[in-house]
Amino acid sequence: MKQVQFENVKKQYDGAAPVLNGVSFLIDDGEFVFVVGPSGAGKSTLVRLLIREELPTSGDILFCGESVVGMPNEALPGLRRRIGVVFQDFKVLNSKTVFENVAVALEVVDSTGEVINDVVPNVLNMVGLGDKADRFPPQLSGGELQRLSIARALAHEPDILVADEPTGMIDPAASDQIISLLEKINSMGTTILIATHDKRIVDSLKKRVIRIEDGAIKSDKQGGTYVQ
Amino acid sequence: MYSKLFENLKTTIARERLLAVSTFVVMTLTFLVLGLFLGVVVLTQTGIRQLEEQAQVTVFFKDDYPEANILDLQTKAKTDSRVLDVTYVSKEQAFSIFSEINKNEPLLLESISASILPASLEIKTKRLGDLSAIAGEFEKVDGVEEIKYFRDVVEKFKFWSTVTYVVGATLVLAFFVVSYAVIVATLHAVIDSKGVEYEILKLVGASDTYVKKPLIFQGVVFGLISAVVASVVLFLVYTLVAFKFLGFSQVLLFGFIPYKINTLVFSGMLGAVLIASGGVLGYFGSLNALKRYLKY
Repeated sequence: MKQVQFENVKKQYDGAAPVLNGVSFLIDDGEFVFVVGPSGAGKSTLVRLLIREELPTSGDILFCGESVVGMPNEALPGLRRRIGVVFQDFKVLNSKTVFENVAVALEVVDSTGEVINDVVPNVLNMVGLGDKADRFPPQLSGGELQRLSIARALAHEPDILVADEPTGMIDPAASDQIISLLEKINSMGTTILIATHDKRIVDSLKKRVIRIEDGAIKSDKQGGTYVQ
Repeated sequence: MYSKLFENLKTTIARERLLAVSTFVVMTLTFLVLGLFLGVVVLTQTGIRQLEEQAQVTVFFKDDYPEANILDLQTKAKTDSRVLDVTYVSKEQAFSIFSEINKNEPLLLESISASILPASLEIKTKRLGDLSAIAGEFEKVDGVEEIKYFRDVVEKFKFWSTVTYVVGATLVLAFFVVSYAVIVATLHAVIDSKGVEYEILKLVGASDTYVKKPLIFQGVVFGLISAVVASVVLFLVYTLVAFKFLGFSQVLLFGFIPYKINTLVFSGMLGAVLIASGGVLGYFGSLNALKRYLKY
């Protein structure tokens, strides 16, 4: 079943060259997809468009058959609860503990305290942060922050997990751990979309690779590599 | 629902003590300064009004003017809405006052009898400005020999007391606006300090209500508590100052309003205004500061 569909999407900021220009692709349920390309190719823009942090200049984006572009503002929290996002800069809440950071994702969907106390430790154990639940983000390493970000994205069991440069700010060993974790999540049925320019990771996994250059799709290949 | 909000607020205060304390101190001091300023204006205007009420017109009557006519004039004057009080001083009473004043001058007292001194009416008005008019009306009465009051002093005092009322009321209004602006700006600063977190919450699917509720609750609680603390301090200060030092149990709200109210009632009203302001400013100040973070 089609889960994400970009239809001739163009994104252009005032007076500048288009960041994305006529981008179209489909992602089915349960797929593991890399979107690759050099810095500034439009990978992060693509993620922001999917969660409607920004609107495209033209074209449409469908999520599970529903237009993200035409969605009313009131429906956006619902959309974002179905898409777990792992941000390049982690976007964790520094004033909350590790446990609370993950609990937030459940609180926003009105989960009870009982559910939160049940789910959060499980998710934290899954990402290897079970023993750091009471720590605050400034007390964590880069890799741990990225895992915390993944834990929060997973807590409410999203339909798709989107990761923007998940290995961009961490060392290779931590990167491998993160990718193993994402593979494990994918094996449990969650669709994974990773925007990255980490050649080593892309080449090692041999998954579907969509390559973007100068705002346009240059190639889209199953079992691909970074340079195809 | 409120228990969760309280729990959330407690955690926030515990983790960000410095921010919470400084917010509370700024808001309390602002309410205190506003209340003190308002009180100073009210007490000043009350003091001026008390001085105004001391001024009087003294109407002296000719020797042959019948006492019955003077008493008629007194009765008529008492029904005048401008008049605060009218006292009749008979020849005998005038002599008695004269004797008391000059008790150390026996020779002088021997040469004077009650028949020489004129009977008079001492008229006090509610407003200083009415003294001239009352004096003018009595000048037309046949039996009046002389009218005394400090015309120049009264005119000058009337001018400056009016200036005090106008300036006082204007400053109070301006101070309300400034104080409200300070409190709203303080709440803005508190919310802006964590603006990024609200944006993150929105990105992970939080609804506007989820983001707004705890912050508005925090703003209202801060506003109410700081206003209550300021009101209690002001209540104690005003009650003490008005009763113990200035000696008035009643104060004017403003010089233009002719009615006085009890000092305790005034303190209560001031407290109610501050507490209501605290709640309303806490609510709308927080809501306004949050607006930019709730945009999609």
